[in-house]
Amino acid sequence: MKNIAKKIYLTLIFLLLYAPIATLIVLSFNNTKTRSKWGGFTGKWYLSLFHNQDIMNALYTTLIIALLSALIATVLGTAAAIGMQAMKSKIRTFLLGITNIPMLNADIVTGISLMLLFIAWRFTLGFSTILLAHITFNIPYVILSVLPKLKQTNKNIYEAALDLGASPVYAFYKVVFPDILPGVFSGFLLAFTMSLDDFVITHFTKGPGIDTLSTKIYSEVRKGIKPEMYALSTILFLTVLLLLILVNFTPDTQKEDKKKSRKITHIHKISSLIFKKAVPALMVIVITAGGIFYHSRNQMSTQNQVIVYNWGEYLDPDAVSMFEKETGIDVVYEEYETNEIMYPKVQSGAIAYDVVCPSDYMVQRMIENDLLAEINYNNIPNLEYIGDIYMEQSKQFDPENKYSIPYLWGTVGILYNKSMVDEPVDSWGILWDEKYEDNILMQDSVRDAFGVALKYLGYSLNSTDLDELEAAKKLLIAQKPLVQAYVIDQVRDKMIGNEAALGVIYSGEALYCQMENPDLEYVIPKEGSNLWIDSWVIPENARHKENAEKFINFLCRPDIAKMNFDYITYSIPNTAGRELIEDESVRNSTIAFPDPSQLTNCETFQFLGDENDTLYNQLWREVKSQ
Amino acid sequence: MKSRKLLTGPYLFWSVSFVIIPLFMIVYYGLTDKEGGFTLLNLARITTPENLKALGLSLLLSLGSTLICLLLAYPLAMILAEKKVRQSSFIVLIFILPMWMNFLLRTLAWQNLLEKNGVLNNILHFFHLPSLTIINTPYAIILGMVYNFLPFMVLPIYNVLVKIDRDVIFAARDLGANTIQTFTKIIFPLSLPGIISGITMVFVPSLTTFVISDLLGGSKILLIGNVIEQEFKQGSNWNTGSGLSLVLMIFIIASMALIAKYDKDGEGNAF
Amino acid sequence: MSNKLIDIQDITKSYDGTIVLDKLNLYIRENEFLTLLGPSGCGKTTLLRILGGFETPDSGNIIFDGKNINQLPPNRRQLNTVFQKYALFSHMSIAENIAFGLKIKKKSKAYIQDKIRYALKLVNLEGYEERFADSLSGGQQQRIAIARAIVNEPKVLLLDEPLGALDLKLRQDMQYELIRLKNELGITFIYVTHDQEEALTMSDTIVVMNQGYIQQIGTPEDIYNEPQNAFVADFIGDSNILPATMVQDKVVKMLGSVWKCVDVGFGRGTPVDAVIRPEDIDLVKPEEGTIEGVVTHLIFKGVHYEMEVLANNYELLVHSTDMVPVGTEVGIKVDPFDIQIMKKPESEDEEAVGIEE
Repeated sequence: MKNIAKKIYLTLIFLLLYAPIATLIVLSFNNTKTRSKWGGFTGKWYLSLFHNQDIMNALYTTLIIALLSALIATVLGTAAAIGMQAMKSKIRTFLLGITNIPMLNADIVTGISLMLLFIAWRFTLGFSTILLAHITFNIPYVILSVLPKLKQTNKNIYEAALDLGASPVYAFYKVVFPDILPGVFSGFLLAFTMSLDDFVITHFTKGPGIDTLSTKIYSEVRKGIKPEMYALSTILFLTVLLLLILVNFTPDTQKEDKKKSRKITHIHKISSLIFKKAVPALMVIVITAGGIFYHSRNQMSTQNQVIVYNWGEYLDPDAVSMFEKETGIDVVYEEYETNEIMYPKVQSGAIAYDVVCPSDYMVQRMIENDLLAEINYNNIPNLEYIGDIYMEQSKQFDPENKYSIPYLWGTVGILYNKSMVDEPVDSWGILWDEKYEDNILMQDSVRDAFGVALKYLGYSLNSTDLDELEAAKKLLIAQKPLVQAYVIDQVRDKMIGNEAALGVIYSGEALYCQMENPDLEYVIPKEGSNLWIDSWVIPENARHKENAEKFINFLCRPDIAKMNFDYITYSIPNTAGRELIEDESVRNSTIAFPDPSQLTNCETFQFLGDENDTLYNQLWREVKSQ
Repeated sequence: MKSRKLLTGPYLFWSVSFVIIPLFMIVYYGLTDKEGGFTLLNLARITTPENLKALGLSLLLSLGSTLICLLLAYPLAMILAEKKVRQSSFIVLIFILPMWMNFLLRTLAWQNLLEKNGVLNNILHFFHLPSLTIINTPYAIILGMVYNFLPFMVLPIYNVLVKIDRDVIFAARDLGANTIQTFTKIIFPLSLPGIISGITMVFVPSLTTFVISDLLGGSKILLIGNVIEQEFKQGSNWNTGSGLSLVLMIFIIASMALIAKYDKDGEGNAF
Repeated sequence: MSNKLIDIQDITKSYDGTIVLDKLNLYIRENEFLTLLGPSGCGKTTLLRILGGFETPDSGNIIFDGKNINQLPPNRRQLNTVFQKYALFSHMSIAENIAFGLKIKKKSKAYIQDKIRYALKLVNLEGYEERFADSLSGGQQQRIAIARAIVNEPKVLLLDEPLGALDLKLRQDMQYELIRLKNELGITFIYVTHDQEEALTMSDTIVVMNQGYIQQIGTPEDIYNEPQNAFVADFIGDSNILPATMVQDKVVKMLGSVWKCVDVGFGRGTPVDAVIRPEDIDLVKPEEGTIEGVVTHLIFKGVHYEMEVLANNYELLVHSTDMVPVGTEVGIKVDPFDIQIMKKPESEDEEAVGIEE
């Protein structure tokens, strides 16, 4: 009875630990892009994985950082442990206290503190800073694995070796080292695993154009994880599982039972051979191959590159590779989720981006804060394909059309599920209808959320009136209990998966959702909404301005604009490009290209000044923390 | 002997450069304003209603998840310890293995499991049970914390329990203690270092997480970790962010002190 | 002696298919100091643990004071154990350790205080109440472990190699201490050891065990002087074990010569083992001995000299207080009652196998 209860308990815990892993493995065979729908079995993600440059790069970076940091930490940590063992116990306790800091300290504090340090020392955030950070938090794992082994080691053995004429170094290497080797090895393994699994510290210490799997996944979270990621994780997981099963078959030769059959011993011999020879050899190969790979990439990239900082999932990767092929310029590509995340990064100057794609009001803010360089329009002949009305509209935030070139535009509206919403939707008011409690998705960004509330109240979405903003805040707080989640790009997956009835969404996303789930309908509420334009700009501190202009010019080519539209389904200001769209219903879709009559009450966001910006942020935090 | 001590040198240098100095950087930023003048305003920012609320909620959720972890982990560690599995490394591996699936993906997978139309609800539906809507609530965050940090509670307790001499337990039985008395008077007090170590190893990361609340809370729930992360990554107010981190460090230092008191010999190390 | 206090009937125990105890029968009388003696792995500790209640036998019965206690958990048995590595509770003071059993029995505070004082006095550790185990030496910890057990006034005290971890001098002191304790307390001691000297010094009865079987039960004198087989002879003290043949009753042929002895009833021509203790061999002038030999080694041992004598291709071990230089030709003489005849082992199980100590 008791034993059965124990078994059930163990099973339940095992389920808790491994249910998410099973889920991920299942998802890696799912034949749709969204994770909320099962579209049949497929192995295609495992194939496309190897063609996905981004993921493979992230994988390489992750593995190399994990290997290098674990190796360096193992060397430093083992040496430190040996030294500490020779010390008086008081000093040792003190040192152990220091060792414990990175282990016990919160990741976020460690990450932040290292970031502050690197920036103060003017280190460029990038590969080397991640590596330094990882070594730092890995050393304690090694020390704490090696120290107990050292304690167990018989001191006399070392002395006996010296007595027999060995030099201290030789004696250590031949006598002490084999004894502590299991500790060193498990320390290395632990360090490697920790480095692999780290997100928070990498998040704070990484720079542009470099991603580990963790940060890559984090940037993908909001727009939906690429299924290739599941495939990769499954491969990694199963590989390690296999290795571990083999390791567990390798015996402790000393403890080996004489009575065990020869066959098993044979297997043991083979597997211990694998682990003593094959695994280290494999590691060396990966390091050197990876190192060469990296080196060549870095050399190439420093000479002729363009660093692009764009919205997540906002450019067809094929267009990027075409650009690279045509011009020989290497594109370093990084993504952000909101204007507010992008702005401080550009402002801090820690990273010199060449091309950024802010929204209207943010362009204005960047101009006002002297963060942008004037664009040399002679270098962008393809500007002629951009519709005049969009250039005119841009003047709202870039009065002389000096700093920005429209890239994509659209509206913000409500996406609703016809099978879940009965009444006609034409007003923001439906987002406050208690009938839809826990069925509403709101945008998780300040201006969008306040824009909805302000428009519903009949105010301008550029309001700076304290009373109006206070009213909007109250409205948003009142709405909070009805909201299922505040999301950004996830609206798409959730709406397609029938997780919610109503969602505030960008028109471009709405078009895609409708293709995937015909039950969905998009509407621009009658109170009016946001008409937005995202434009290419070049930051003041760009190091490759000419390449940036080449890049912008390339994207203004009609065929590229059309290709891009097919991929992301956001409205393009490129009139020549629009004409190339084959599908008539799409070319004339009112979602993608709404009638001017629909836009009568719509406004474009403006930058309201730093003080008002802080005010908005403050009010938004009050909403969120309720 | 002297030359062996010198081996600690590189590590000491490293620790000072990348552990000690960075911490002082936080202290410096936390106690100065944008112009570099001394101020306590950053620390005081913790007292604004929304920050206090975030801190309070963080404390509540992390204490809750720590307690649940302890309640789940102790019996588990006892069962594992008494199994006398020859390779104790095997047990460690069961808990380390999931780490090879990325932490974010593992946590994200809970969305699939917990969603309205998720796996769990489908199962419940199949058995005609009422569906469970905990996604995007504090409960989902607690679940995420328990899921992610449970190993850090199990391993230290397990490591302490296996080290308890079986004869000590037999001695208690021999002296007349029944099973319950043996547990409360012998096993539990002897496992205290592991428990304390486990508690801090779950409490600190739970208190400071921003990822789990992000992924499972639907961005509706703001923890102190989210506030700090936003100060650095979005608000670009490093001084305030550092100030709030300093407040957090008070809790972390308290945990370290607790360990130093109850687990002097590092018996309760997780690995 | 008095009645049977514990009766062990047909106890069998095996781990993972290896039999540790095989149908073992043994009884223990009241007030007896009984020692289970044997090499490690012989099953003596297992037997003790079965008595303590920490292991359950696969089959067989333990009768304690007329009652079957097979199913009784350890906390309800009227015996207490002193563990090999003391097993003191490291998180409690000495006083708390000793009080543990009494507190569980809900004795009054005054009673407990009295008992602690009494027990510490008994083991000569007065004033150690507030100390902790890790500040005591091995011998002191051992005495606390004994004190902790005896305050519960058990009928039987089980001691599992209690002196194993102590150094020689301390071990000898503790042996006297234990005898004194046993006499003062007037209870039964069951003592497990692999040290034959310890067993011979303290016991009323010695049970020699090997590979799960009892080899011989007897008083220390019986065991030493009249080992019943080669295993016992070899395990207890030094001895020369020689292959021999019975010529007739009281006459044995060994070392190429015929010797007088006192054993009868083995049958003519039966192959046997003959045991001669090294101190029982007299070295005399060559012509006075039964056979002749040459001294090949000589070591001074303090109390006596230890010599090896080569005779008829056998190396004989000889202890003597007289020194005979290496190379001396000597005669070898043994008194008939110093030759102990044993039958050869019949089965593999009984065979005296390698002694690990």
